[in-house]
Amino acid sequence: MKLAAFLLATAAFAADDSFVLRNVTIHPVTSADIPNATLVVTGGKIADFGPKAAIPKGAKVIDAKGLHVYPGLIDSASNVGMSEISSVRESGDVNELGDFNPQLRAVSSVNPSSDHIPVTRGNGVTASLIYPGGGIIGGQAALMHLDGWTWEEMAVERNITMQMRIPTTTTSTFSQTFGAGRRPFAETKRRYEERLKLTGEFFEQARAYQRRKAAGGGGFTVDRKLEAMLPILEGKEQLLVFAARERAVKDALAFAAKENVKIVLAGVREPGTAVKEIAERKIPVILGETLELPLEEDSPYDSPFTLPGELYKAGVTFAFGTFSVQFARNLPFQAANAVGFGLPYEEALKAVTINAARIWGVDDRIGSIDKGKWADLILTDGDPLEGRSQVKQMWIQGRPVSLETRHTRLYEQYTKRP
Amino acid sequence: MKRRHLLLAAAGAFAYGQTGSPGFYAIQNAMIHPASGPAIPNGTIVVRNGLIEAVGPSVPVPAGAWTIDGKGLHVYPGLIDALSTWGLPAAAPAAARPATPAADAPTGRRRGGGDETPANVQFLDDGGPEDRPSNTSWLKAGDLVQPADATLTAARNAGFTTAIVFPSTGVFAGQGSAVNLSGGRAGDMVVGSPVGQYVTLPTRSTAGFPASLMGSIAYVRQIYIDAEQYKAAKAMYAQNARGLQRPAYDRALEGVLESPRILLPATRKVDIDRMIRFGKELKIPVVLYGGAEAWRAADSLKASGVPILLNLKWPEHDRDGDPDAVESLRTLETRELAPSGAAALSKAGVRFAFYTTGLERPADVRRAVKRAVDAGLSNEEALRAMTLGAAEIYGVDDRLGSLENGKIANLFVTDGDWLAERTNVKMVFVDGKKFEPAPAPAGRAE
Amino acid sequence: MHRRKLLSGILLAPFAAYAADGTVVIRNAKILTVTKGSLEGSILIRDGKIVEVGPNVNAPAGAKVIDAGGQYVMPGIIDCHSHIATDAVNEGAVSVSSMTGTGDTVNPEDIGIYRALAGGVTTANILHGSANAIGGKNVVIKMRWGKDTPEIVFDGAMPGIKFALGENPKRRGGASEGGLNTRLRYPATRMGVEDVIREAFTDAKAYKAALDDYNARVAKGERLIQPRRDLKLEPLVEVLEGKRFVHAHCYRADEILMLLRVADEFGFKIRTLQHVLEGYKVAKEIKEHGAGASTFSDWWSYKVEAFDAIPYNAALMHKKGVLVSLNSDSGELMRHLNQEAAKTVRYGGLTDDEALALITINPAKQLAIDNRVGSIEPGKDADLVIYDKHPLSNYAKVQKVFIDGQVYFDRDTDMNERAAKAERKKALAEKQKAAARPAGNGRRPQ
Repeated sequence: MKLAAFLLATAAFAADDSFVLRNVTIHPVTSADIPNATLVVTGGKIADFGPKAAIPKGAKVIDAKGLHVYPGLIDSASNVGMSEISSVRESGDVNELGDFNPQLRAVSSVNPSSDHIPVTRGNGVTASLIYPGGGIIGGQAALMHLDGWTWEEMAVERNITMQMRIPTTTTSTFSQTFGAGRRPFAETKRRYEERLKLTGEFFEQARAYQRRKAAGGGGFTVDRKLEAMLPILEGKEQLLVFAARERAVKDALAFAAKENVKIVLAGVREPGTAVKEIAERKIPVILGETLELPLEEDSPYDSPFTLPGELYKAGVTFAFGTFSVQFARNLPFQAANAVGFGLPYEEALKAVTINAARIWGVDDRIGSIDKGKWADLILTDGDPLEGRSQVKQMWIQGRPVSLETRHTRLYEQYTKRP
Repeated sequence: MKRRHLLLAAAGAFAYGQTGSPGFYAIQNAMIHPASGPAIPNGTIVVRNGLIEAVGPSVPVPAGAWTIDGKGLHVYPGLIDALSTWGLPAAAPAAARPATPAADAPTGRRRGGGDETPANVQFLDDGGPEDRPSNTSWLKAGDLVQPADATLTAARNAGFTTAIVFPSTGVFAGQGSAVNLSGGRAGDMVVGSPVGQYVTLPTRSTAGFPASLMGSIAYVRQIYIDAEQYKAAKAMYAQNARGLQRPAYDRALEGVLESPRILLPATRKVDIDRMIRFGKELKIPVVLYGGAEAWRAADSLKASGVPILLNLKWPEHDRDGDPDAVESLRTLETRELAPSGAAALSKAGVRFAFYTTGLERPADVRRAVKRAVDAGLSNEEALRAMTLGAAEIYGVDDRLGSLENGKIANLFVTDGDWLAERTNVKMVFVDGKKFEPAPAPAGRAE
Repeated sequence: MHRRKLLSGILLAPFAAYAADGTVVIRNAKILTVTKGSLEGSILIRDGKIVEVGPNVNAPAGAKVIDAGGQYVMPGIIDCHSHIATDAVNEGAVSVSSMTGTGDTVNPEDIGIYRALAGGVTTANILHGSANAIGGKNVVIKMRWGKDTPEIVFDGAMPGIKFALGENPKRRGGASEGGLNTRLRYPATRMGVEDVIREAFTDAKAYKAALDDYNARVAKGERLIQPRRDLKLEPLVEVLEGKRFVHAHCYRADEILMLLRVADEFGFKIRTLQHVLEGYKVAKEIKEHGAGASTFSDWWSYKVEAFDAIPYNAALMHKKGVLVSLNSDSGELMRHLNQEAAKTVRYGGLTDDEALALITINPAKQLAIDNRVGSIEPGKDADLVIYDKHPLSNYAKVQKVFIDGQVYFDRDTDMNERAAKAERKKALAEKQKAAARPAGNGRRPQ
């Protein structure tokens, strides 16, 4: 019933993007928390906030006594909207065929009607970096609001980074018929070196293309794959490089240095001695699920839990990504779990808000409660990273967004079953 | 091949330029290691008619024997490979699977049928234990041995005189036989048969049931239950057939019932403990094989009284593995400590023997035994593990495994300690028949 | 302790090996009893059992006193669905694999046990996989890390068996890997799954009837050959006789209801419905049948039958009177079932005690071990977890875990031992790398 009441309340002011929250504890993330404060949203943006912020005349005022307002959470890596049922190939649009597909764009394959979008929103996530995969270069990721009638309306930035998977030397194989198996290292190594070489060659071709284009003149024809690489070569766009283990991370770092491109590391799990270099070169990292099993039998049982804290201590900038569809709603818990194992709470919160926005260069618009930023906000009854808390209300660009989901609908429907 | 062996033997005899009755030898003044007791310096051993006639420090040389001056030589019981496929056809007959499941199999699934089923489709669910898949329990290795197999000669040249050979394909692969490594016909070679049922426990298979470790174990259990019921039913029927349903003849169960013991795989301590318990449950004598983690299972083995065959192919670094991969402490410790297993077993008083599966060259076998010795096993115990120990485990120690009066004259003669790098095997006696390996090429000890 | 020395770090004997008859007091704790509310106070443990719980308990002289420092103590977590600690999960070749069981393949050295322990789990139901309409038998274990199989098995737990409905058991009825797999297995539909179960129980009844008939006639003095004991049908007879629990993997409401009705017809009970993601749709029928439900907190959409899964499932079923637990089915999820429980507060508004019951007393009841474990009450096993914060907080971490009053996990000890373990590993790795380094000819030095 409580939930239904909220949904009704939502509908009441669904048309506007201006309102005032009163008697609320504000957690701006970029500055100290403010209890019993007022937050003013005008035209979808944060106009003012503070203990004494003036309430504009005629403003719609919401009394949020006992509640808390936070910036909407940002998932720095997901496939939300690109896959509906993971076991059904037909419902998936993440992995294209081919090794090099920089021309592919995730943005237009994000299904705004996906049931995963409201479900993810339900736990306070307002924006998500949605990436494609497949091959070595999977295509361009988009930063999307988790609300909109179309993907155009959802897009915060259409092409914000390029997904790339550094070739690795894994000797384990898996087949439906034979299960887990092993491939000889010599074969793995050959394949790995060949793929690294291919990657280098692809970048070489892109540079040659860049020179040809700059030189102008006759005979120049557009190559859409290579054209898509130009923002990377020009340093205008970051490569989102997936690398989990120490060797892959080191390869990624070496690759970035050699090619002189900006990278963000993704899915780092056991970086070992590479941490120092990551910190020194100020390379941002997108961390995956905190609650993972260690990769090695002998790794400390809590090694995945302690990684965020260790990176923080080493001075690495990072944000959290769920790298998931069905678990994208667990982003806040992912951040919380790092807190128990050494990450300061404020840093955990930043890693799903402002640090994410900074890494993606959108901190002028989202990531914190600051004047002039978009009103991507969540109203909660407590710490949004805690499992037992509730998200009571959400706004994206000042618009109230429904927290109803496929799940709440089924819940209500079957609660009523006699 | 047979002829060549004989020629070699003859040549050896003539080399000594003596006269004597065929198959009648006396080796004098040798260092004799009987395996059943302490070494005998300057001892004499007499071999006649394929048997050891006498052995000791002051045995007179009987008239008519070919005498061999054993000065500087060592005499050992012939080595026994405690689990082997030497001399067997490369691929043992595939375990029989019914082409179609028995129509009246009580629990077999009906087929799906229907027009949509493609013609080439096979149905995986061909039933379970009652169809006796992967089972050739009735095969006897002794019947399959090929006397002309070149591996027999190579093994013999390294001092091996006996192998306990088993068919090796299938969950119930078949029955083992103790075979001497010389003979014109398989029948001449068999010293004891059957000595046990060789069981494997496949952990994955795409060929049908059992396709997992749990399936394999369940299958073996059901077979032994069936065998007991079969035995009882047959006995009842034999006593008085009138009025009784005839128990259907089942060769898979016949094979199991014939086997005096069962060989079960056990590599890790977990496997060893599991198989000890399983053996107890099956209520038949069990011999384990594998034993890479026997170094930490001596207590369980001792308590159970179950003997174990240790594979001399000690765990090695995976040559196909990623050289930078971090191996688990468990893997590293097992690799480090596996060769110490023999010493641990010996200390605990566990019956054990060595086998050589996976080792290609005689020198590798010697080195592998040497590693066990370096890890604390005494020379005597090492010799025992390759001679009398194996014979005892298979219940053929009344005829094999040591240099004692009346036992089969299987022995080998070296020019030094058998485990030393530069030692050469000078002579090998199998069933009292003498062979002399060709000398090793200069500069190579193997 | 001997083992601990050898395998530094892998196989730890209980850290603080108090004598089994030792007396332990945990004082200064926030005690979440789950069944009797929460209090600040102490717990007195003797002979591995909880003796007294209260604000003040008298610590007898000589008792080991553990100061919880104001931290939280809750009952050890019970996972009603796990596949850790077993060397095999599925026997997939047959549609009915009831002859198999995880009890045959327990691996007490699986690192998953230690990791689960570090996540506060003290008891788990180790189930067969879901590849078969009727799967294998299960085993309930306690996480007594460092002990051998017989000692980790939960003594006296009711035997059970796994069933599976829906996509998993019918998966092998269809082509996979681009249609390459032409070895199909019946069934391919939910209808077929029902058929397999019905036929198996029809067979089981006939088997039971045949046994009864035999016994009756033999009792009358007839001379008959004993029927074959069938390990496949025997557990199903036990199910019919109420001597074995059914733990049934299921997703959709239709198949859940189907199974309940099949069970009703054959006259047996489904003890737990596992996963049961659409259980909320048929909570009424589940309650009426008396089945328990063991589900995930928030998994959904990973397959078609999981698309109507909702995170309110546990709360909704609970509110409709079903006995509900949360399980992991995963060695990873198993490590934070407390946080999974916390989600039921968010999704469906359960109270803290209701949420904690989902991972303690409720699964204990489902496994019929609630007389021993599942809450902090006098007379129960001292299986306890100390958390630094409220266990339903995402910031809480396990500090100590007790089983039978003995400490099996201690975070400080774990951290303190890391360096030594890493050192030993490094030393061994370097030593072995050096030994394996190829000489000039690519072989080890001769």
